Amino acid sequence: MSGYAIVLASRELSRVQAVSTIASVAAASDVPVQVFATMDGLLPFEKETVESGDFDVGPVGAKMLQADGAEMPLFHEQFAQAKAIGDIELYACEMAMDLLETDLDDYVEVFDGTLGVSGFLNRARDKQVVFV
Amino acid sequence: MNDSEYDPDVTIDSRDATCPGPLMDLIGKVKEAEPGTVIELQTSDSGSKSDVPEWLDEAGHDLLDTVDNGDYWSLFVRTN
Repeated sequence: MSGYAIVLASRELSRVQAVSTIASVAAASDVPVQVFATMDGLLPFEKETVESGDFDVGPVGAKMLQADGAEMPLFHEQFAQAKAIGDIELYACEMAMDLLETDLDDYVEVFDGTLGVSGFLNRARDKQVVFV
Repeated sequence: MNDSEYDPDVTIDSRDATCPGPLMDLIGKVKEAEPGTVIELQTSDSGSKSDVPEWLDEAGHDLLDTVDNGDYWSLFVRTN
């Protein structure tokens, strides 16, 4: 096993934040991480959603949004920080983007590119797969 | 001046930042530090106070001391 391949298929903020937190610390600790945002997991990355703060939240997510941004950076800021110091790549699902009729410019700038299922599986071959 | 016997080469002020902010700040400094560097990490996050030593243990660096300053903790770390 050489790192983690995380499939993010949830739009719920606390799940997305949990992925960014764990992935960021792992990558910063020299554990390679791939994040594949697919299905509804793509939605929180939309620029419009990030700018408006209109996330799908439960009780913990609501508290996160109330916190000072400097105290609790949101997931996209955590990913950006992790990419600066660690081995982490993020990919957006091509199929979900086709359904949503979006392209990478519609999302915050954390993605390294787009992938289909085969591309993800190729990169996940030597990694432990985590589904969120 | 602090209540520890250790005189840090680098001080990281991560007070008010929540998990994993203090740890990420520390990792960033550790990666660029020479071996033997003493780092003081200041955190008010109780989760980080216990989680940072776990990371240090796995990464092979030393936790020298933890000082309770009342409204925050100082974790003194030596890089290896």
